Parts: sequence; structure tokens; C-alpha cells
Amino acid sequence: MLNYALRRFLISIPIIVVATFLIFWAISLTGDPLQDLRQQPNITTEQIERVRENRGLDEPFYVQYAVWVQQIPTGGFGEYLLSPRPIAPDLQRVVIHTLQLVIAAEVLAFIVAVALGTLSATRQYSVFDYSTTTLSFIGYSMPSFWFALILQVIVVQIFELTGVRLLPLANLSSPNPGTGLAFVWDRALHLVLPVMSLAIFSVASYSRYMRASMLEVVGSDYIRTARAKGLKEGTITRRHAMRNALIPTVTVAALSFGTLLSGAIVVETVFGLDGMGRYFIQMLGRRDPYPIMGWLVITSVVVLMFNLIADLVYGYLDPRIRYD
Amino acid sequence: MSDPLLSIRDLVTQFDTADGTVRAVDGVSYDVYPGETVGVVGESGSGKSVTVMSVLGLIPEPPGRIADGQVLLEGRDLLTLSDAEFRDVRGKDIAMIFQDPMTSLNPVLTVGSQIAEAIEVHRSHLSDDAIRKRVIELLELVGVPNADDRFDQYPHEYSGGMRQRAMIAMAIANEPKILIADEPTTALDVTIQAQVLNVLQTAQDETNAGTILITHDLGVIAEMADRVVVMYGGRVVETGTVDEIFHSPKHPYTLGLLSSLPRPDADLERLEPIPGQPPSLINLPSGCAFHPRCRMGNDRQRCRFETPERIDLDAGRSTACHYYEEMDAEIQRVQDATGAEISTEDEDA
Repeated sequence: MLNYALRRFLISIPIIVVATFLIFWAISLTGDPLQDLRQQPNITTEQIERVRENRGLDEPFYVQYAVWVQQIPTGGFGEYLLSPRPIAPDLQRVVIHTLQLVIAAEVLAFIVAVALGTLSATRQYSVFDYSTTTLSFIGYSMPSFWFALILQVIVVQIFELTGVRLLPLANLSSPNPGTGLAFVWDRALHLVLPVMSLAIFSVASYSRYMRASMLEVVGSDYIRTARAKGLKEGTITRRHAMRNALIPTVTVAALSFGTLLSGAIVVETVFGLDGMGRYFIQMLGRRDPYPIMGWLVITSVVVLMFNLIADLVYGYLDPRIRYD
Repeated sequence: MSDPLLSIRDLVTQFDTADGTVRAVDGVSYDVYPGETVGVVGESGSGKSVTVMSVLGLIPEPPGRIADGQVLLEGRDLLTLSDAEFRDVRGKDIAMIFQDPMTSLNPVLTVGSQIAEAIEVHRSHLSDDAIRKRVIELLELVGVPNADDRFDQYPHEYSGGMRQRAMIAMAIANEPKILIADEPTTALDVTIQAQVLNVLQTAQDETNAGTILITHDLGVIAEMADRVVVMYGGRVVETGTVDEIFHSPKHPYTLGLLSSLPRPDADLERLEPIPGQPPSLINLPSGCAFHPRCRMGNDRQRCRFETPERIDLDAGRSTACHYYEEMDAEIQRVQDATGAEISTEDEDA
């Protein structure tokens, strides 16, 4: 298993190289990164030309790419285009914040979806099943920025009606978050609304998968065998049906992690969270290719890592799959 | 005879489909006595599996429904039991071996744990060690080699024959009074079939269970069964001992089955298949369901419009044919036509 994980990790390296190369090329097509600089009256052409030369912006994009790749092992993700500050510390900060948000959303979505999917499959065509199905389609089709705003409106309304400050509406921490447990609690409260807005789509989608695969499993011969043994329905569902039904659902959930990361862009912007999403939008606005490249490398690594996790969990759930 | 262990009385099981309500089982009655094997034969869709599923309470509701009848296990009507009471019967008093061992075991649990579960659910006081010991004993009994290692293996590490042996071990784990085997050898190779039948025989001897053996293989019936129930279109058309069924059938359908069966021991000139197709349950023929395919009925009015009721000829011997008295002549005709020797008694007489 360790061997397999290591091998998969090594295979990921060329994938990341190819991915970054393609993205670098795509960014180079979007035009001149110094365009904004040219429009500023107090910056001279000479100054602009100096930046051009220092950063090698005259070279073809593959040479620029080679230069960028070379400095990764020593210089992290390098410096910003227009200021000599290193990118890595900023990136580290926002990545940690975003992972808190996204992992919380993924775990919450998975647990809720498995429960909903299982319950609606075991009560197929009941009122519960129909309501869950309807709510899933609503959750599926609702834009997350809109849902985020609605959540904020609800919290504000509650405050206006009752005077209770239920949850913070923005930011990651209070001005004085405290330390230790107090800090963690403060962070958790701040993440409630963003996590809900981010998870709703995944709950809707994973629960549909869980329901479908539960329905398939519930009709299978080994469930009939379990019933013929005299087991209780609850035991049959938990011990025999759910574990089989989880196999495809886990795959879908882990492979959709990338979707959650892109969903975080919108949610972080709405809630003003200092995460990868907002950082990405800011850097895109500044036309600075280097932080964007760093951002994409991190995202690719995370997505590939979750693909690997999916495969490993798959092997754990299904004894027919063994890695050696 | 002593009292029957299991008595199915006028059982009616129906399914709601898009095309209307289907009576998959329509007034089926038969008995199972301790230690005997009752073979149930019939084509696909004759209701043989649905009958035993009803006995075990495994009919999915909806769309299925047991509309009428009784299933008496030692005099107690199972159909009136609560869910919890019925669960207690399932796997303990009545156990079942299913047709396809490839799909009947849960792929993500070890074989041993699945058999252990069958014991655990009915005897929760046993320790894990005691249960494991018992499971290994059972696996050895059904002829699984290296039972101790095999306990911790998954179904995909078992061959088809081994899986069916494991299913048999699971079924006899609680020494059931009634053992139901629903086409236990249909999904297996011919060479494995004989082995599995032997194991089934051993299992039955071990538990002295009354056994219901469902099959469409008359060879298996001849080998295993004491008495035979022949089903057609959701109804029982004939019952009798193996000898009676094979040598003096009292229903033209039974005779049709025999005359369409190639037998190495009989010097057949040709086979006489049953004409036509098995009936669709949605649109069952009126009167006797077999009349459109019957060589003896000749489209007589009575066959077409009057559903034949069970006629008891003797203890455990019955037929559902208006003209069963004509069967001797019909057997003679088939013998002349095919060269088969069905009625050995005639020659003795």
C-alpha cells in the first residue's frame, strides 16, 4: 500500500509539470502583464522596460516557463512581478485558511449526504424521499453566491427581530480572537455560514449518488441473503448495504474536491475570507502571473492528492481491490 | 404419516404491475414432513420460487402482497406473525440456500463473518470464540478445505462451488427445521453440481430438516427427492412420490416434462417436447392454464373454461386435471410415439 502510494506520488510529478506548462502558456496568451503599468502617467517607459528585462518578459513563453521552474526548488514560488516580496508566505497563509473551509465543507457534506441518501433509498417513494429529492435539485441548481447572501440576510433579519447576534457575517476571526480554544471556537463560528454555502451543492450531489447506489445495493442478492438470516433491517442497512454503497460515493466525493476548491473562490469573496479564492481573484486583477502559477501548483497538488486518497479509501472499502 | 412440519395452505401471492395485478402464486398447498425432501418442479414463472419466498416472508411489499392462505410451521401460522417474530423464524427455523452463489454473498465481508452473523443473530449469548469454532466446524462439514484460513477470506477468493458450500453452511448453522434450496445447482458446472448435491444431502442428514428443493432439473429430483410437487402457471398441478410422478404421472404437463427429457437409461427414439411457450402470468389462459399446450385436452370446453381444482387420489397424491383418468391411454400413446418406457408398473402388471 505504501509502495503504491509512493508510486502514485511519483507519477503525479510529470502530471503537475505538464499542467503547469499548459497553464503558463494559457496565461501568456492573456496579454501583457505590464499593461496596467503603462496606463499610469507617473511611470516612465524606461522603468517598464527595466521590469521587462529583469523578468525576462521579452523571451518566448517556454523560456519564461523554464526560468520559473528553475527557481521553484530554491526560491519557492518566487517574488511578485512588481514588488520584491516573496510569494510563498502569502500563499501559505491563504492555503491554510482555505483548507480549513474546504475540508470542513467536504466532511460535513459527505456525512449529511450519506445519511440523506441512505434514508431516502431505504424509504423510497416516501414523503421524506420526495422532499429530499426536491431539495437536492434546489441545492444543485442554486448559485452558491446567492445562497451565501440569503444566509447573511437571514442572520441579519434574526438580529433585527430578536437582537441576537447569531453568527459572524464576514471575516475569518473577530478583531480580538483570543488564543487557544477561544481562537478555535471563534474561527469555527466564523466558518459556519461559509461552510454551509459551500457544502450545499456537494450535499445535493453526493446524496443523489448515495441514494442511487443504495437502491442498487438494496436490490441485490446478498441483501436478500442477509434478510433470510433474520437480521434486523437496520443491521442490514448498516452492515451490508451501506458499505457497498459507499464505494462509488467515496469516489465521487474525493474526485469532486477540485469543484469545492473552485466553489471556495466565490464563497470567500462573498464572506471576505482571506483564503486562496479571494487571493486568486486579487492576483488575477493585478495581472501578476507568478502568484497565479503558485496558486495553481498548490491546487493541482491538492486535487491529485485527493484522487490518491479516493483510490486508497476505495481499496479499504472493497476487499477485491488490493494495491501491491 | 405424522403431522407435517410445514404446511402451505391455499397460498395466494400477487404482484401489482403496470399491466395489472399478477397472481404469481394462486392457491398453492403442499406439506413438508420431517426429514423428507420435497422436490418442486416447474418452468420459469410457475411460481415455485415465489411460494418459498412467501414462506420466508421475503416478498418485497409493495409491489408484492400475500393475499390469502396460511403457512403453518408446526401449526403456527407464520403469516400472522409480527415482523420481529418472523425475523426470529428466519434463518433459525427456516433457512434458505439461494440460486446464485456468486451474488448471494456480500463481497465486502469475509465468508466466515457472514456465517457467524447467522449464528450470532439467533444465539447472542455465544462468545465470539465459540461462534468462530462453530463456523469452522460447519465449513468442514460442507467440505471447505483449510476451514480455519478460509474463514477470513472474502467471497471473491472462493470458487463458485465453494461459495455454494459456504451458503449451505450458513443455512444449516442454526439447525433449521426447514431447509429451502432454490435451484441450488443451476448456476454451477455439472461436475460441481453433483458435489454440491452431496453436501446438501449431508447437511440434511445432519440436521434432519424437512427440505424443499426447487429445481427445473428432473435428474436432480430423481436423485434427491422423496416426494414431488409439480407447478404450472402459479398452481400445483400434481403431487406424488418420485416413483408415482416418474412412472404414472396423472397430469399431462408432468408427462410432457418426462417425454421431453433425454434419458441415457431409456432407449428413446425421439423426444416429444411440450408445444408452445410457458404462459405469461399477466394473461393466463382461462380454465386450465395448460390447455393451449395440452396434447390430451383437444380443446374441450371444460378445459377451456373450468379451472380444475385439486383432486386427491390418495394420501399425498393429487392432480389438477379434469381428465386424469385418460392418462393411462396418453402414457401409452407417448410410449408408442417416443419409444420411452415411462410406465414400468404396466409391464409388471
